[in-house]
Amino acid sequence: MKRRQLLSLAAAMSSGSLLSACGGGDTTATFERAQGAMEQPMAATTTYKSRVIVIGGGLGGATVAKYLRLWGDAIEVTLVERDTSYTSCILSSLVLTGQRSLSNQSFNYDKLISKYGIKRIQGEVVSIDPVAVKVTLADGKILSADRIVLAPGIDFDEVPGLGTSDKMPHAWKAGPQTALLASQLKAMPTNGTVILSIPPTPYRAAPAPYERASLIADWIKTKKPQGKLVVLDANPDFVIEKDNFSKAFFDLHKNIVTYVPNAAVTQVDPATMKVYTSQGVFAGDVVNLIPRQKAGKLVISSGLNNATSGRFAGVNVLSYASTVAGAEKIHVIGDSSATTQPKAGHMANQQAKVCADAISRILSGGSPDPAPVTNAAAFSAITQDQATWLTMGYQYDAPTLAMKVVAASSATSVGWSRGNFDDMGTWFQALMTDTFA
Amino acid sequence: MHSAFPTTVAVGALVAALGTPALAQVGQPGRLLASNCFQCHGTNGNGPGFERIAGKSTNEIYDELKGMQSGKEGNGIMTKHAMAYTDDQLRLISAWFASQKTTNN
Repeated sequence: MKRRQLLSLAAAMSSGSLLSACGGGDTTATFERAQGAMEQPMAATTTYKSRVIVIGGGLGGATVAKYLRLWGDAIEVTLVERDTSYTSCILSSLVLTGQRSLSNQSFNYDKLISKYGIKRIQGEVVSIDPVAVKVTLADGKILSADRIVLAPGIDFDEVPGLGTSDKMPHAWKAGPQTALLASQLKAMPTNGTVILSIPPTPYRAAPAPYERASLIADWIKTKKPQGKLVVLDANPDFVIEKDNFSKAFFDLHKNIVTYVPNAAVTQVDPATMKVYTSQGVFAGDVVNLIPRQKAGKLVISSGLNNATSGRFAGVNVLSYASTVAGAEKIHVIGDSSATTQPKAGHMANQQAKVCADAISRILSGGSPDPAPVTNAAAFSAITQDQATWLTMGYQYDAPTLAMKVVAASSATSVGWSRGNFDDMGTWFQALMTDTFA
Repeated sequence: MHSAFPTTVAVGALVAALGTPALAQVGQPGRLLASNCFQCHGTNGNGPGFERIAGKSTNEIYDELKGMQSGKEGNGIMTKHAMAYTDDQLRLISAWFASQKTTNN
């Protein structure tokens, strides 16, 4: 009833644009009301005032698309993603232990289309023109917009010797690689050795390799009683949550785990399952090789990789606009961007909101919020039913033009618990719903 | 949950927005700050997730956040998270959630 009253009131006031008048949450109401009656998600009365193309349908891309529709003034949002659905990396290590299935990890774009009126193109982007703000798709179609948001995630460095072998999966983009690693683990002899290699920072999800190692160690205890796990860390020490992960490796899982710091992978041989590192040669029955990471291909092929020695995209963290001269209408969010903030899904979701808010303001003739706040949060499983948590908040620091961590807000749980493991499930559901529904 | 209050607020916002269309999107102080809560408490604080925040009173939300920020309630994740915000920011966040309708997400 209330919605109808509001809508008819808006009509009576004969504003030029209903969406413009309502803004915010009332935009949603419009689409919810329209949804039942129409095949096409967009109301016939909608007149777009501007256009944004979002490339990449992960946590960053899906969130920015949703919030541009929620917060923007009649922005036409087109989401381009090659896959039919998204497979979440978060919780995907529980697929390796057999506790979750890949279908539990899958999220589609239906709600973004039906509830928020996002236009969806399933396709491959071959190039973008950062100055003319145009996108060329693999089928030859060219799209143009007022702004483009790139959220292509990560890409991997080639590992010498690996070639096209599937014997050493990364499973660092969830999906077929996760299934492959899970099946290799399952087939491993009961006295087998698993090798897990951690790349140098920055990489996606700082605690996640240590989490995966802890989980695999716990799984080995229950399923492969004589099994071992060797963790080859390219970094000199645990890169995050040292208190918890060192206790997990050196105490809880000490009979299973061998931790080798400063072990950068230089080469591999899939035929003999050998991993060559700066700390010697290691052989395993199963090798989870997580290669060094860089921005998604499109960032690099578009010349937006002007930070971190050409590996990631420099951005203005008030709007996530590229800092490449002339490319200011291209925004890069999530793991592809170079900021002081962690590369992780929860953070990508928040960067997406800052970006959506900034673009909404800019396209309405305003300027971005001068003092954004972001936060990172993650839970890490230490056993198959216990977890830790980690949180940190960031405030914009004008003198350095960067997001600066608030020291008092940066903390982890002291140890792990069953309660945290349960909270991890609640967090996952909340995060995925805020992103995809 | 179906008080007339949210409608009144929405109409107020509507009138304000019509008067200054260019400011329609920037006229919601607290919204971007509050969006930091959505990952765990749902879009607009309406779940699913941890405790729902939408539609509570400004004072209730603010007092809860200040209580957590003080550290007197232990060392939990929300205690640490609350420490990321200034007092002004907590006030903006509280007022924004108080202005939100509760929905059946």
